Amino acid sequence: MVNHRSFFMMRTPFRRIVNIWAATALLVQALILPNVLVAQEEVASALRRFKDREVSTGYYEEYEVLPRRQQPLISVPGVRKGTFPYSPTAAQARIRTRLADSHQGIKFYYVLRCEFCHAEETKDIHTVRANLTCRQCHGGEPIASIEHFYSPLNPIRRHAYVCAKCHEGASASFASYVVHEPAAGSIAAKNDFPTLYYSYWFIFLLLVGTLAFFIPHTFLVGVRELIAKAKKTKKDDERHDTGDGEQDAEQADIKRGDEPADRSQDEQNFKQEDIERSDVRDQRRDDGLDDKQDEDDPRDDKRTD
Amino acid sequence: MTDSTTNRMRMTQEMTSARIKRFSAVDRVFHLFLMVTFLIQSATGFSRLFFTTTWGKQLGYVFGGYETSLIVHKWVGVFMMIGFVIHTIYLLTRVQWRNLPQSIFGPDSLVPNLNDARHLWQRFRWFFGLGSPPKFDRWTYWEKFDYWAVYWGLPLLAVTGLMIMYPLVTSSLLPGWSLNIALLLHRAEAVLATSYIFIIHFFIGHARPASFPMNEAMFAGSIPLEEALEERPAWVARLAQEGKLALVSSKPPALWYRVVYFVFGYAALACGVYLLINGIIYSGAVRLH
Repeated sequence: MVNHRSFFMMRTPFRRIVNIWAATALLVQALILPNVLVAQEEVASALRRFKDREVSTGYYEEYEVLPRRQQPLISVPGVRKGTFPYSPTAAQARIRTRLADSHQGIKFYYVLRCEFCHAEETKDIHTVRANLTCRQCHGGEPIASIEHFYSPLNPIRRHAYVCAKCHEGASASFASYVVHEPAAGSIAAKNDFPTLYYSYWFIFLLLVGTLAFFIPHTFLVGVRELIAKAKKTKKDDERHDTGDGEQDAEQADIKRGDEPADRSQDEQNFKQEDIERSDVRDQRRDDGLDDKQDEDDPRDDKRTD
Repeated sequence: MTDSTTNRMRMTQEMTSARIKRFSAVDRVFHLFLMVTFLIQSATGFSRLFFTTTWGKQLGYVFGGYETSLIVHKWVGVFMMIGFVIHTIYLLTRVQWRNLPQSIFGPDSLVPNLNDARHLWQRFRWFFGLGSPPKFDRWTYWEKFDYWAVYWGLPLLAVTGLMIMYPLVTSSLLPGWSLNIALLLHRAEAVLATSYIFIIHFFIGHARPASFPMNEAMFAGSIPLEEALEERPAWVARLAQEGKLALVSSKPPALWYRVVYFVFGYAALACGVYLLINGIIYSGAVRLH
């Protein structure tokens, strides 16, 4: 209270000077220091905060953390030359995967969403199928580079800090599963993940080779059998119409489903009169030949009786 | 009447009515088991593979959704592994250990041999009208391929499936990145198996002129001797020479049984073709890994 009173009791010009200095200090920190207020809050805008809702429901929306505002005067190795150095040891921190803030210095970062730049990284199983959001593993802003010493995704602690959140009991070996794997057939995979690359080409060539052989093979089988069938039918038709000089079918070739299978004895005891030829007889009768032949056929006599 | 004529007549008589046994009841049960499990695995697997598409989601609903279709997939997978082990034991009982070389490389064996390569070459010549069709013995080269494709594909799917089923155990035995490989191989081998079965196996079993509308051998267990003479003359000749034709003769299947397996076979065919067509339509939405 005393301080307040003494401040208000000060003479006006002096108070103005203080205000000017305070304003200047604020301006300087705004230019140099990051925005402390929204930096690590899970918000998509100044109005929308859903961390509480998400934690209570367990369902993470697609929202990502609003990136903090950049410090325009800070230089970023390899990205931007600013008034102030990135850090006293900036010369050693030129690798983006080792920065405390991996997105340091990216222009218009605060309007970007993860997938604008990391489109490929949104296609993995964790994102597409387990419905995870980036920050569930990579954390809120500032997102540390995965190789940064304090990053939860640093391989020395990744299994415990990140994987084990869902995969209880995850080991360091378990954490060597490559979540954002390169396209398996790509040169990138050949360099970074050769086993995946060669497995892919092995199984891919097996797949394509099998189908490339068997699809035409099977198609040819179909066509060839169709031709063979058509030829056979045509040949049969021709034989039926004209006869081709081939020996006629033997009696045994004629299918008689109603007779016992073993007809060998029948064949040997074959007699001409056993064959009933009613149609021929009818034909003969129509032609007036019946009378002459009647004597030969005892069964005809029975019928006329 | 000469002896040869009598023989020929006898053969022709047998041809007209006789049937010859091709698959034992055990063989047919294995095939039936594989049909049912394979179709369930294909449907549940596709529902997960195509999960990002509307069709994949709808397919998943049949099995109770994305999560439960995985439970079904895992259980049926376990059944398949058990079936595989039982089949292997059965296979070992079929080997004639006292006559091992003949048992493995003989004509009754499913092990590929040089004759198969010769038959393949002859058949390709026949495709283009350059020769007569090969005289197949008991098993044709594509049937042997069918058999061994399943026989090595199933363990591959089983091992990779178990790996991704128990990732923590896997990572304690192997490096964790082996899970990446397992996922890739499981998916790619499944795509290979389904596309082979739904395109080639189905075509051979149903659509080719010699089989249309359905090759009943695997359900009836037997085929007409006439068909065997046409397709596998070397086998029939061998059986006749060894005097075993009578031993493998078989009764024709009952009508009700034929109706059952026609309905069942066509239902399975419809399921497979449905999965194949939709899989092709939505193939743009998935990757091989």
